[in-house]
Amino acid sequence: MTELSPVSVSSGQPDRTARIASMLTAAREGSEDALGDIVTELTPMLWQVARATGLSTPEAEDVLQTVWTRLLSHLDAIRDARALIPWLVVTTRRESWRQRAAGRRQLPADGSWFAALPDASPGSEEEIINADQRRALWAAFGQLSPRCQELLRIVAFVPRPDYQAVAAELGMPRGSVGPTRGRCLAKLRALLADSSDGSPR
Amino acid sequence: MKSSDAPADGPLDGADLAILDDVRAAFSRADPMPAGLPERIKFALLMHNLEDEVARLIEDDSLQPAAVRGEEQSRTITFDSASLTIMIRIESNANGTVRVDGWLAPPERRDIEMRTASETLQAASDEQGRFAFASVPSGAAQLVVRSAQHRPGGPGRSVVTPALIL
Repeated sequence: MTELSPVSVSSGQPDRTARIASMLTAAREGSEDALGDIVTELTPMLWQVARATGLSTPEAEDVLQTVWTRLLSHLDAIRDARALIPWLVVTTRRESWRQRAAGRRQLPADGSWFAALPDASPGSEEEIINADQRRALWAAFGQLSPRCQELLRIVAFVPRPDYQAVAAELGMPRGSVGPTRGRCLAKLRALLADSSDGSPR
Repeated sequence: MKSSDAPADGPLDGADLAILDDVRAAFSRADPMPAGLPERIKFALLMHNLEDEVARLIEDDSLQPAAVRGEEQSRTITFDSASLTIMIRIESNANGTVRVDGWLAPPERRDIEMRTASETLQAASDEQGRFAFASVPSGAAQLVVRSAQHRPGGPGRSVVTPALIL
């Protein structure tokens, strides 16, 4: 089997979809290695889904163990490989919210936890430009509603071929032909456009 | 509105995908998945028996700031399942292993296993629900409370915790 790249959860690579499909088939036939490869491939994405709900690091780790354990008993029910990622994303999100509700600690519901995320350390000149762009993105992102922040963070990590199925599961609006931009992304785009115009309102 | 050229019901375009790429890059840097997580999950999956009842982490006091916990090197974790609550306290031994003291609620005698990457340790709880493992190798481990077959009508399934790092 070919070497797994260090999980660039990036845009639509058709071969990635095919690779996950063959891993799923092998896992259903009892291959522990194939199941392990799926875990390696998709856990970085699910980490973002769990953390987007505001869970602490140990809580998110625990939720992901629960989700993967549950997949074991659902392997046969997921006949189509295209159903795998939507199932994992939705199950992770549901378990995360359940965990949040069970936790005694109350997280700020206004999305201010977002401001606590560390910025990357500055480096080369190119990095500094990137840091400026990142600050603008953080600033715009932080003005979105908590729900929009969560949805966009999830969608950003979903592989492009699965975008439409996941967006539909998450209750995001969808046009008749292909996925639409949606309210949250339209809002973020407008905020970014405003900030790059240098018009602080 | 100035950006009305990008309405919510419009189709995704290249600029949208670029923004999503930026969001992904930013969160990948700011909040990356812990490096060992896939290995811990694989460990838990290998150990998992579909018949087992899975306990959830309820509280881990290592989430508290050190100042609240005090200087002592102990950590208390609580797990909850449908039939059982399991609380454990973990303390470091001088030789690099850890000591684990535990309590079951409701209290009862059960056989208990501590599965580690290298071996499975055995213990049993007393009628107060107390149990102890004096020396557990540090690293990934999972606790299994064996089914209570001696109690007719009692919980018939073993209870397993998520894998944790001792």
